[in-house]
Amino acid sequence: MFKYAVWIIFALALLLLPQVFSSLLGISILSQMTIAIVFALSYNMLLGQGGMLSFGHAVYFGLGGFMAVHALLGIEEGDYFFSVTLIPLVGGLFGLLAAIFIGSFSTHKAGTVFAMISLGVGELIAASSLILVSFFGGEAGVSGDRTYGPTFFGYDFAQHLEVYYLAAAWMFVATLAMYLFTQTPAGRMANAVRDNPERAEFIGYSARRVRLISFVMAGFFAGIAGGLFAVNYEILTEQNLNAATSGNVLLMAYIGGLGFFIGPIVGAVVLTLVNSVLSHYTDLWMLYLGIMFVLTVMFLPSGLTGFLMMHRTPWHLGKMHLLVKPYILTAIPGAVFALSLLAMVEMAHSFETELVFLGATLNSDGIMSWTLLMAIALVAYVALRRSLPRLREAWAQANAIDRGDQS
Amino acid sequence: MFEVLIFATLNGLVTGLLLFMLASGLTLIFSMMGVLNFAHASFYMLGAYFAYSISLYTGFWPALILAPVLVGVLGALIERYGLRRVHKSGHVAELVFTFGLAFLIEETVQFFWGRATKDYRSPDILDFPLFTLFGQNFPAYKAFMIFISIAIFIALYFVLTRTRIGIIIQAAITHPHTVGNLGHNVPMIFMAVFGVGTGLAGLAGVIAGPVLTTFPGMAVVLGSIVFVIVVIGGLGSLAGALVASLLIGLLQSYAIASDVGMPDLLNWLGVSFERDHPLNDIWRLTLPQIAPILPYLLLVLVLIFRPSGLFGKRES
Amino acid sequence: MSLLQLQGLSKQFGNTKIIRDVNLEIKQGEKHAIIGPNGAGKSTLFHLISGRYSVSAGSIMFKGTPIHNRKPFEIARLGLARSFQVTNIFPLLSVFENVRCALLWSMDYRYSFWQLLGKAKALNTRTEELLEEIGLHLRRNLPAGELAYAEQRALELGIAIASGAEMILLDEPVAGMSHTEAKNAVALINKVTAGKTLIMVEHDMSIVFDMADRISVLVYGEIIASDVPSKIRGNARVQEAYLGEVVQEGDDA
Repeated sequence: MFKYAVWIIFALALLLLPQVFSSLLGISILSQMTIAIVFALSYNMLLGQGGMLSFGHAVYFGLGGFMAVHALLGIEEGDYFFSVTLIPLVGGLFGLLAAIFIGSFSTHKAGTVFAMISLGVGELIAASSLILVSFFGGEAGVSGDRTYGPTFFGYDFAQHLEVYYLAAAWMFVATLAMYLFTQTPAGRMANAVRDNPERAEFIGYSARRVRLISFVMAGFFAGIAGGLFAVNYEILTEQNLNAATSGNVLLMAYIGGLGFFIGPIVGAVVLTLVNSVLSHYTDLWMLYLGIMFVLTVMFLPSGLTGFLMMHRTPWHLGKMHLLVKPYILTAIPGAVFALSLLAMVEMAHSFETELVFLGATLNSDGIMSWTLLMAIALVAYVALRRSLPRLREAWAQANAIDRGDQS
Repeated sequence: MFEVLIFATLNGLVTGLLLFMLASGLTLIFSMMGVLNFAHASFYMLGAYFAYSISLYTGFWPALILAPVLVGVLGALIERYGLRRVHKSGHVAELVFTFGLAFLIEETVQFFWGRATKDYRSPDILDFPLFTLFGQNFPAYKAFMIFISIAIFIALYFVLTRTRIGIIIQAAITHPHTVGNLGHNVPMIFMAVFGVGTGLAGLAGVIAGPVLTTFPGMAVVLGSIVFVIVVIGGLGSLAGALVASLLIGLLQSYAIASDVGMPDLLNWLGVSFERDHPLNDIWRLTLPQIAPILPYLLLVLVLIFRPSGLFGKRES
Repeated sequence: MSLLQLQGLSKQFGNTKIIRDVNLEIKQGEKHAIIGPNGAGKSTLFHLISGRYSVSAGSIMFKGTPIHNRKPFEIARLGLARSFQVTNIFPLLSVFENVRCALLWSMDYRYSFWQLLGKAKALNTRTEELLEEIGLHLRRNLPAGELAYAEQRALELGIAIASGAEMILLDEPVAGMSHTEAKNAVALINKVTAGKTLIMVEHDMSIVFDMADRISVLVYGEIIASDVPSKIRGNARVQEAYLGEVVQEGDDA
């Protein structure tokens, strides 16, 4: 019963969120998130579930997207007559085809060889896209218009809100499909092959076949994401195929957490917010993104979801309260430390002498601001270091099973 | 025609040796630690930038010595405090870490040095044509690059095969546990090899910066090619890396120098296509156009048909 | 009826011959033990039979079909299963999932991506049965990597027999176990392999002489003797090469 409840809440959230965040920016970000979620989930079929690290997943996203834009152009010019609501499927099918072709030679091995092939293929296709101008449109890309073709219950998708609901509907279906896949023999064997490809063979499964299926599925759903992108932005460029986009989806999946199905969803949401919101506040958001990424890999390898899930045992044992105070004692100095460093970095970077940071006005020329910040940073760092042993102790306690009386 | 061949060969040699400087470090690191350092070309970039900044104060020659050392030290620290920690989380985490590192280094470089191309120049003393053939100059600086590359390799070969530490390193590459049990400090060796590998990349950056331009995208440009080389040569084989580096360097050089393209081939075959044929883009391709993607094509082909590369050991 | 036939089987790595001209016949229903000093090539022999290594010369026939040089999954599908000396399970999957995956092919699920395993009653019931048989039903939800060593070995065994294969290869199933654990493991093995053909590599002589119908002795890649336990015990060559002074006349556990 709980399982159905989750999906119902999910669907309700999708329906109601644009009412809460009803500004144009809000809806735009929500649409972005839906696309990112489908893309990131498709990527995790490869990495988290299949153990295949790909550096070229943007290929299927991009190819699906380009085909989708061409379909839009076809509808516009009257060559085809079908509803724009089916465009993501066009993207998905083209992504599927591409994945079948590329998967045929790249799924023989997992590991470093797979990663390298994916990198090579990704670069190859991205580079080719600038050469094959008739399909990829060269530097300017290919643009279309989504308002043509038969209307869908009277909607022509000129409004952003309408596009959001289309994307959300597709995302819901795609997420459900990808989730159900994990409960099928192919999905489960994908996990087994990830854990131990050799043993999987000894229980009767061709590891290669299993990988190929995951690979093709991932390509299909990435193509759907590309199609959604095409409908939303009405333009695809070489950037949607390149290594940066491939890197971005890796980031989303990793930061969210590879080991859980909702991991990539969390990662997609967080990263979309970071990418769109943070960029308004600072030029250096990409630098911060990079720092965040490296820190996550070093200290939170199981991602945000993994971090949350670590608290399962204390939760079950009813011992969460033991962690509250230590967390506060660590989080506050940690946050102050990070923010003071951030302020110093921003000051160093800005061209103006006066900088407004979190409401406080800082003078990047003045010695006062710098010494103040450094002092704050130092104090915070010391407080942080001091709080760690206590946190460790609390963590051990929170995870310990009371044995009761043992005489 | 002949002069094109000579210059293309020489340029190919310069590029090939430079690529080997990068590929050798990468191969050493991969052989020893099993991790493909995605950030390797980033250290190359750091070498160029460090050298640029140092040379503003001291001129080219002190920078030539200092910058690679700085890069190597940085690399060693990253291994000690970053990579080693990530090692516990598994192979995928290591690859993702180096990938994130590459991204981070690029952003950091932009933060400190800005996005514009830096005016990092070769030293004036080498700013003359070494020889002129059929009207084309071959700059002395390029000859210097060849000279330095070869000198470094000889030194490397000497250290690896004739010194005690070199033999220990060779052993640690294949049998780290045994070497550890013999009392050698294997983690220290790892750190040293990573430092030397990245230092080599930095050195490549120092000498290539003036020629290949010093800008924040320089790591990306070269990075993928270096992987191609390491894979083609065979993951873990220095000899393979050398052959592959020279091969790719020469191949690219010849491709760019020649003006041969599909139209020539089609003409020769007596075939022609209309202007707006959908595949017209392919039929109009010239070799210089596809020169940048040749390495990737080669990479994919090699990985499909001979994943162990030219000289590599089979994947365990 | 002979189920497995090795004829003139040889394997070399480079110039090093690991298996030299081995001839062996295993009958259906037989419990066969392979013993020999370390490095004799016992695991290599298993790798050859199960498809992990290709043969350098000779043939392996299973139920009359050649299986040498075939892919492991093909051989597994023919009804030959194996366990490993170093535990080889799916560490991130739960114990339940480990066993269920091992059942999938034999229950005809193939590569289906449309059937939901949650609804697969017969499959899940059989998985529970197997878990009970190997005594791990209380640990069913634990990630397999977190099991204790002896439990992992039991799971290892469970995965091997899940598919209902007629021939099971067990590679040192009680290695690293305490005396009690080994006793329990042997009882389990006897229980789950009843009626099946078993080839076992083992060092513990009491177990070997207890369980085996026939014993083959592998030394430096060659089988120097292959016979019933009593004859092996008395074989001078075997004593010299392997048993040493452990077995004297009248000695018994």
